[in-house]
Amino acid sequence: MNVRSQISMVFHLDKCIGCHTCSIACKNIWTDRKGAEYMWWNNVETKPGTGYPTRWEDQDQYHGGWEVHKGKLRLRSTGKGKIVTNIFHNPFMPTMDDYYEPWTYKYEDLFNAPEGTDQPTARPVSMVTGEHMDVEAGPNWDDDLGGSPVYAANDKNLDGLSEEQRQQLFAVERLVFFYFPRICNHCLNPSCVAACPSGALYKRGEDGIVLLDQKRCRAWRSCVAACPYKKTFFNWSTGKSEKCILCYPRLETGQAPACFHSCVGRIRYLGVVLYDADRLEEVAKLPDDKLIEGQRSLILDPNDPEVIEAARANGVHDSVIESAQRSPVYKFVKVWKIALPPHIEYRTLPMLFYVPPMSPVMANRQDGTVESVSDNFFHDIEQARVPMKFLANLFGAGGEGKVVYALKKQKAVRTYRRALTVGDISMETAEKMLAEADCTKEEADAIYHLTSLCTFDDRFVIPPMHREEAIEMMREPSEHKTAVGFGFIEPPKRGF
Amino acid sequence: MIRTSTPLRGILAACLLGGWSATTRAQDPAADFRQNCMSCHTIGGGRLTGPDLKNVDQRKDRDWLTRFIMDPRAVIDSGDPYAQELLKDARNAVMPTLPGMTRARATALLDLIGAESKLEKSQFAGVQISDRPFTPEDIERGRLMFLGRVPLARGGPSCIACHTTNGVGALGGGTLAPDLTTVFERYEGRKTLSTWLTAPATPTMQAVFRQAPLESDEILALVAYFQSTLQRSPDDVATSRLNFVLLGLGGTIVVLGLFDVIWRGRLKSVRRMLVHRNGSENTHG
Repeated sequence: MNVRSQISMVFHLDKCIGCHTCSIACKNIWTDRKGAEYMWWNNVETKPGTGYPTRWEDQDQYHGGWEVHKGKLRLRSTGKGKIVTNIFHNPFMPTMDDYYEPWTYKYEDLFNAPEGTDQPTARPVSMVTGEHMDVEAGPNWDDDLGGSPVYAANDKNLDGLSEEQRQQLFAVERLVFFYFPRICNHCLNPSCVAACPSGALYKRGEDGIVLLDQKRCRAWRSCVAACPYKKTFFNWSTGKSEKCILCYPRLETGQAPACFHSCVGRIRYLGVVLYDADRLEEVAKLPDDKLIEGQRSLILDPNDPEVIEAARANGVHDSVIESAQRSPVYKFVKVWKIALPPHIEYRTLPMLFYVPPMSPVMANRQDGTVESVSDNFFHDIEQARVPMKFLANLFGAGGEGKVVYALKKQKAVRTYRRALTVGDISMETAEKMLAEADCTKEEADAIYHLTSLCTFDDRFVIPPMHREEAIEMMREPSEHKTAVGFGFIEPPKRGF
Repeated sequence: MIRTSTPLRGILAACLLGGWSATTRAQDPAADFRQNCMSCHTIGGGRLTGPDLKNVDQRKDRDWLTRFIMDPRAVIDSGDPYAQELLKDARNAVMPTLPGMTRARATALLDLIGAESKLEKSQFAGVQISDRPFTPEDIERGRLMFLGRVPLARGGPSCIACHTTNGVGALGGGTLAPDLTTVFERYEGRKTLSTWLTAPATPTMQAVFRQAPLESDEILALVAYFQSTLQRSPDDVATSRLNFVLLGLGGTIVVLGLFDVIWRGRLKSVRRMLVHRNGSENTHG
């Protein structure tokens, strides 16, 4: 057993209101720079929708992630042979248009326009060329457009739905959408790291954050092609790739990452989990339907004395182990099993988990009146507006079982709380539902508390990062202290 | 700081001294002559760049010869009339001062030259080149050797790697070294050119051909070829350069065109295709 620690995350989609505060918080801190205008390390997508960049989930197009070939894991985008033939042009890259051409408005025209009979307007100008442009698309162009024929209809997760189901999804009375905020998943088996020919990408040993060394990056852009979530970006100004750094400077000072901190719906949870690094490859090679269970088995019980001993032997600090024992992520993923990894079939073992969203049920119409209560509550889950197959493609590697389990449990907790506080449902019904959803009253209370009454400290259990221990390996900490500070000490630039 | 123990230092010193003594030790004069003199001199084989050394000690006294071997430039610069004459005969090529030359080594060399001069045929007589008239076969063989179609017997590089001449094709030959079209004329005919080729004396040629000298029949063929190039009208050098540039440009365009065809989908964006497909569906339906 090779126990390591990993900062892991849960996004509770049922709470996301799609306000994009997270994206703006991230933009303001990290990507409001030349060459990074188009980058959204954090973005919020509307589902069904094609996302950012367009149809990033279509790996037949982008060749991201891993595949199992003759019993071995293999990158889909590159390899020893492919890297030679694609050395000057990688055919599996998103174009600028697939992200969007970033633009601003020429606000000075509002003030400097000569007097005339028309209102002056601020025309959009490209932030890349500086020329006037017609805005055709943006990073979230299909925001709130559940039924848009271009974007929603082309969601990759609609694959496997019957034509009738697809048609229904776009009928006005069934229209549905939910939000899907995304950051780098800081995967356990990151394909971006594996694909980099320069060795610029690395997974930080002490906390599993995937980082990109700006000094070693040589602009191959292999990471951009290899990441199936398209969460590494190429900065056209510095000639280096960039990605979400999980705000590690904030984490190191005990603060939650900016997108977590600013989240209005309080959907984001962060905590450390302990995992067994020896079994990574074995798990990443499992068949699709075993992957979720396999990844869960990698995450170890931080209260198990054997695990604690192995973690200590591996240099994991006691304070980190203690933090792992309080981790909200561990509860959501491993104890309650209601948080699921996105597209685990890409086999990168993402460490950002999503609690799948509940969606409005279809109202039952009986004798002309609309009934919202039925005897069989769980029936409503299958009747939900979002087809189960769609959620299963997104969070269940195609299998509906795990998604239905997570939704049933959420529904049971809701019913239980309603029986407790409103009282229009009998406690007997609620208890029956809890039992059917594999949930106890205590667990339901715990889920309720962490979902609805969670404070900052409940949501973000940030372990002490012990940077001094990591720095000690490279240089004298007191010397390091005088050599770091705000801003780039050496700004990244093109070339070697 | 490097610290070595006393015995180790002793061993190091012994090695250094051993190496020093090995370099200063008088070497076999025959090997010395072969290595350092033979590229310009013969003994009884006629002059190359330098004069034939047969019976050289009858032409000048020992002391003068030793002084000249040890520092040829100094003797020439002193205005010595015989040295000036030698310089003129050698077409102003100054004999290089050999590194590590000592009086003992010079004496040994002169002894060797004296002994070899008495033999009927010295081992240092050099390559003998036939005086027979050139045949068309010689010219053709020389041409093929120049072009590298017939390899040189000792493995030397073919001429076209660095040189060009007329009639080698539309693109011309190498441009690193001089055009050899008129070399026959410049080297004043068959005899001097042949002699020069037995031991080429320019720094580049010497470095290359000391290890892989030309054989006498090869020299004959090449000289025959160079004589023939003199008689043909010279090529237009500008045309062959232009051809070269045009071929490069044409090739680039063809390769780029090929890239364009192979990777024709490279600028297609996913989003634009979705929008386009939707637009066309709407107009048709």
